[in-house]
Amino acid sequence: MILAVLFANSEGNILVERFNGVPAEERLHWRSFLVKLGAENLRGAKNEELLVACHKSVYIVYTVLGDVSIYVVGKDEYDELALSEVIFVITSAVKDACGKPPTERLFLDKYGKICLCLDEIVWKGCLENTDKERIKRLIRLKPPVDF
Amino acid sequence: MAQPFVKKDDDDEEAEYSPFLGIEKGAVLQEARVFNDPQLDPRRCSQVITKLLYLLNQGETFTKIEATEVFFAVTKLFQSRDIGLRRMVYLMIKELSPCADEVIIVTSSLMKDMNSKTDMYRANAIRVLCRITDGTLLTQIERYLKQAIVDKNPVVASAALVSGIHILQTNPEIVKRWSNEVQEAVQSRAALVQFHALALLHQIRQNDRLAVSKLVTSLTRGSVRSPLAQCLLIRYTSQVIHESASNSQTGERPFFDYLESCLRHKAEMVILEAARAITELNGVTSRELTPAITVLQLFLSSSKPVLRFAAIRTLNKVAMTHPMAVTNCNIDMESLISDQNRSIATLAITTLLKTGNESSVDRLMKQITNFMSDIADEFKIVVVEAIRSLCLKFPLKYRSLMNFLSNILREEGGFEYKKAIIDSIVILIRDIPEAKESGLLHLCEFIEDCEFTYLSTQILHFLGIEGPKTSDPSKYIRYIYNRVHLENATVRASAVSTMAKFGAKVESLKPRIFVLLRRCLLDSDDEVRDRATLYLNTLGGHGSEVETDENMNEFLFGSLEVPLVNLETSLKNYEPSDESFDINSVPKEIKSQPLAEKKAPGKKPATGLAAPPSGPATTVDAYERLLSSIAEFSSFGKLFKSSAPVELTEAGTEYTVNVVKHIFDRHVVFQYNCTNTIPEVLLENVAVIVDSSDAEEFSEVASKPLPSLPYDSPGQTFVAFEKPDGVTAIGKFSNILKFIVKEVDPSTGEAEEDGVEDEYQLEDLEVVAADYILKVGVSNFRNAWESMGADYERVDEYGLGPRENLTEAVNAVINLLGMQPCEGTEVVPSNSRSHSCLLSGVYIGNVKVLVRLSFGIDGQRDVAMKLAVRSEDESVSDAIHEIVASG
Repeated sequence: MILAVLFANSEGNILVERFNGVPAEERLHWRSFLVKLGAENLRGAKNEELLVACHKSVYIVYTVLGDVSIYVVGKDEYDELALSEVIFVITSAVKDACGKPPTERLFLDKYGKICLCLDEIVWKGCLENTDKERIKRLIRLKPPVDF
Repeated sequence: MAQPFVKKDDDDEEAEYSPFLGIEKGAVLQEARVFNDPQLDPRRCSQVITKLLYLLNQGETFTKIEATEVFFAVTKLFQSRDIGLRRMVYLMIKELSPCADEVIIVTSSLMKDMNSKTDMYRANAIRVLCRITDGTLLTQIERYLKQAIVDKNPVVASAALVSGIHILQTNPEIVKRWSNEVQEAVQSRAALVQFHALALLHQIRQNDRLAVSKLVTSLTRGSVRSPLAQCLLIRYTSQVIHESASNSQTGERPFFDYLESCLRHKAEMVILEAARAITELNGVTSRELTPAITVLQLFLSSSKPVLRFAAIRTLNKVAMTHPMAVTNCNIDMESLISDQNRSIATLAITTLLKTGNESSVDRLMKQITNFMSDIADEFKIVVVEAIRSLCLKFPLKYRSLMNFLSNILREEGGFEYKKAIIDSIVILIRDIPEAKESGLLHLCEFIEDCEFTYLSTQILHFLGIEGPKTSDPSKYIRYIYNRVHLENATVRASAVSTMAKFGAKVESLKPRIFVLLRRCLLDSDDEVRDRATLYLNTLGGHGSEVETDENMNEFLFGSLEVPLVNLETSLKNYEPSDESFDINSVPKEIKSQPLAEKKAPGKKPATGLAAPPSGPATTVDAYERLLSSIAEFSSFGKLFKSSAPVELTEAGTEYTVNVVKHIFDRHVVFQYNCTNTIPEVLLENVAVIVDSSDAEEFSEVASKPLPSLPYDSPGQTFVAFEKPDGVTAIGKFSNILKFIVKEVDPSTGEAEEDGVEDEYQLEDLEVVAADYILKVGVSNFRNAWESMGADYERVDEYGLGPRENLTEAVNAVINLLGMQPCEGTEVVPSNSRSHSCLLSGVYIGNVKVLVRLSFGIDGQRDVAMKLAVRSEDESVSDAIHEIVASG
């Protein structure tokens, strides 16, 4: 299960947070934990450089893209390896939607599109689509080209 | 809640101006009214939806009314033909997740989309419907979903499959009907469809071992298209291997070749998954491990942190069971200590601590010291625990390791972290005599400035035991007495006890201890004053009668011989009377989890009316109460031991019977727990007829039949035997259940008047030597062994003949003796050729026994065993050898 996908700006303000199977009362805790993790480790990280952490049986893979930091949390079958796949799809879809590693402004400009991409990538905690070209078509309700 | 977006600087207003600046829920909800316009503006509507999404994605919530309003407005947007807007509408409906009575508004629109010619409408409608719908609607759309699973458009198929994975949680019976379609989708040429289908198919069939095994067999031969699916397959394969391993111990491991071939896959994810699967195989051999370790080693120097993390995490696990297999990677792991990613560095350090050799300890400690300051407490605890085991492994290195522990003890840290350090120091002091003095001083320094009451009292208690045995006990007094001035009442009371222990053990300190104890008589706390008075009296500080040394030592240092839980229960059961509470009446056996009396499997749970009480609780005191309440057995004295229930019938028979053996000094009572599993009959006058002709030393003295045994309401019947006192008599008993059967009218539940006599053959029962030994553990075997002394030590060697492996031999001896394995020595590392096992117990007559077993296995799998016994009684040591010799 992919427990959470979270986007934050460089100051740690939340841009997008989507939780699956995380009780409402634990979400705030997760949010501050992830933002703290990013603040401690993402400084100086290169675009799309993956960082990884684990806490008990939960894995966290996170990265920075332009002004935005991205966190993916998973457990069970979504271990660090599967999550790195997920975050790779997310970063490429976001880059694609924005045309480049986004500034915060650009990210917010393309907010609707990014939400649609996320909807195609993670579906209630499962990875659904992994190909950015296909995602690009799907969010415009165009069928994939490769079938 | 989310912090509002803050505009940073006026200068770069152009660049930084957020489209959501000053966004407010109320205003956006107002804006959502545009959804109701007769002339829809798709662009404007999309913008409003984006704002709503922004609010929701920041953790904002809508009230029930707000959500309903927005939802109804959004459903109007189905009228628009704008594709971009339609996509947004799908997303918005999912995000709002409307409640059941509202869903009806959109179902017809969504059903229409689900049958649309446009594939993308179908895919999205499926996802939305499955997200918001409940079971009843599902049956209506099931037909479409089944079609969708095998749709030629992979997006539609995936949408249906992933929906299936989610629906399986809530409506498994529906999804299970889709197996055929899902099976077909597993063969799909689209990589992701195959991945999703495989995941769903496995979930549908996860309880059917054979089906999973077939699935794995066919797919490992065929082609799996995506790395993700390949990873799933590896996991399912290792599950199949795990389950089949118990059936075929010998021969080649099934599917191992497949796992090994995955090590050469082009996707890193697959390689790591395969390596991990191999390292986790049951009883993995070093030949099997080598290729996996080799690929993991390569990943340690990967440029991608995720791969480094995955590799070191796996190696860390391997190091727990096969440290030698990982030593080749030591150099690579050492370079990871400076890894920017702290998780990787911690894993590297803890792995190295397990695999490192004696010469590298000092270097390693130096590296760790620099590293400790910048990791979190939870990582530090892991490191401390690893250092503790390292120190026990290389006792000669205690100096640098103890120094390290004392240094980190002085630094900031939470309770759990400090406790881990203290525990480690205590264990090192206990097990490495040379480390004692320096370790105790470190502890003393720590309590001078310790904010945790629990830790202070633990340390004071420990000081009281170990301090007086050192070369200069007086140097600890200062630290202890300081506590009386500076700490809270709990710690002060502990300090008083500790001082008393010094006074009792060190004659030269006694007068000075009295002075200090007398000062405590004026303490503000009752407990502190009481303890001071008590100890002064016991030690003779008030000029009163001095207790004998032995009594005093027993009082101050003797451990409470009974488990605290048992003492608590006994005290609760004690009813005030003229007879005072006798601590010897408290059972000494450590209770495991209360065993629930086994019910015959397959039996339906009792329904209707009140459920009948299940069998008696099998805990020792419950037995004791039960037996003492029966007049025939009340003269048997104190119950020594009750065995675990032994089944005398097979599962699923009409009457199930198990027996508990209760051992007294001169008697044995068999308690037969009987259950009648036939609703149509009632049993009366139930008794067990025991033939003891194969148990010569026993003679039957009493039998207590059970008047009536209705359906599903367990009852007990007893038979008691006398045996010679002090003899561990053994023997075999055959049993027949005798009773009168009466038919029960199912409509009224009443039994007929007349019954028929009948009998039922039960399995034989044995009283064995292990029944006379209580499982009583000791916390520190080495200390217990040494303090027992070699007076009554008996050592001999035995050949145990050919065995499958050492584990089997060790378990056989433990079961034969019925003693408590200590310090986890019952676990034999896989593939080891020799093993030592420590056992402790109490022999009937309350005689403590300790046993040291050393096993060795040779090439022909012949097992030899050396048995060393120490006990408080010569005859008991001999008896243990007799048990082994005749077993």
